[in-house]
Amino acid sequence: MICSMRLSVISLAGVIFAATSAESGRLPTDQLEKAVRSDSISIPTPAELFAALEKPAKTNWSSQYRGPMPMTYRNRAQIALNLGGLIADGFIAVEAKDSQQVKNIGSDIIKLAKALGVSESLLTRGNSINEFAEHNEWDTLNEELEATQNEVKASMQSHSDQDLVILVSVGGWIRGTQVVTGVIMQNYDERSAKVLRQPALVKLMQSKVNEISPELRNEPLVKVVSQELTDIEKLVSFPPGKVPTVDEVRKVNEAVGKVMQKIESKTTAK
Amino acid sequence: MKQLLPIFLLIVVLAAGPSGRAETDAEVQARKTALDLAGAFTNDGFKTRDGHWCGTVKPNDHALVAVNLYAGNEYWFSAGAAEPSTKIAVNVYDENGNQVPTDTHNAGDKAAAGFSPANSGQYFVSIDLLEGQAGSFCLVYSYK
Repeated sequence: MICSMRLSVISLAGVIFAATSAESGRLPTDQLEKAVRSDSISIPTPAELFAALEKPAKTNWSSQYRGPMPMTYRNRAQIALNLGGLIADGFIAVEAKDSQQVKNIGSDIIKLAKALGVSESLLTRGNSINEFAEHNEWDTLNEELEATQNEVKASMQSHSDQDLVILVSVGGWIRGTQVVTGVIMQNYDERSAKVLRQPALVKLMQSKVNEISPELRNEPLVKVVSQELTDIEKLVSFPPGKVPTVDEVRKVNEAVGKVMQKIESKTTAK
Repeated sequence: MKQLLPIFLLIVVLAAGPSGRAETDAEVQARKTALDLAGAFTNDGFKTRDGHWCGTVKPNDHALVAVNLYAGNEYWFSAGAAEPSTKIAVNVYDENGNQVPTDTHNAGDKAAAGFSPANSGQYFVSIDLLEGQAGSFCLVYSYK
């Protein structure tokens, strides 16, 4: 099966042709509002964000590492948010091509995922992450981390923990944005700063958080994150074509840094 | 063999992906077609995102999904359809609903649109059924 897939990929590559579509249509607002918005395709992964950031100049990814974090959270919402942040850390370590850091983070991801009771098959993922890190297979590691994130989410869904899925995505976005703004502030470049314009994405994450069960939504940490997302949405709502200034980047960095601190703190959640 | 492992893992994970509902055989077939097409772009350094969107589309109608993209990246949106849908197209619109010029690849039950967004933000990808009857489709996307 794999052989036939490889053959078909090669043959497609051989016959592919490109044309340019004319700019001809316009969709009415009511259709745009009805468009599907799903976690699996509408919310970008940290790897996509980091790929865009790295284009203009070489990035010092290791400068954005953070210290060890507690692995003994008891609040499930807090574990889910931190799990998302850790997965973003994994992508950072891959970008930094730091195999030891990848292994450390991979091990922490498995610990937090197990605390949520997700599938035992994640242990296999942990072994794969170690093996790929050992052999410096960076592209494969990116895929493996993304697959790990999706497996965690799939396992949450099968355990009726659907509400936690969006918290993993939110945690990943907040940590990813903290890193990206930190990198841009270190070496400001207009092309890099353009990645910060994401009002619809923040609005989407907030609307998904508002859809979760009232019980979870009323937890202190989830309430804080939801409120902070409202402020962050305003900070990343730049008009099309407007490049965020250094000061505007700093404001986003401070806002996401504040939320990240609360997500990490063992005193925020019950 | 080792080089094929990630592809195999991708297929396994997609099969158990967090779609929230069981997929039909037609959607699985459409997803395979979409992944085959997206695989061609990996030769140019594109990474295929481990996520997908499947659904049904009717004649002379389209299905629409919102995506959030980053300026600086290049994207290809690849879709596959299953019988009785025989010809589809992929189009991209900006946050105001204006169609965005794209490079396109159309070949019956598979189609793709590629572009580099000038601005980060929300875009909309439509799957249009041009020929055939209502049927299943699946969309994946790649970036670099």
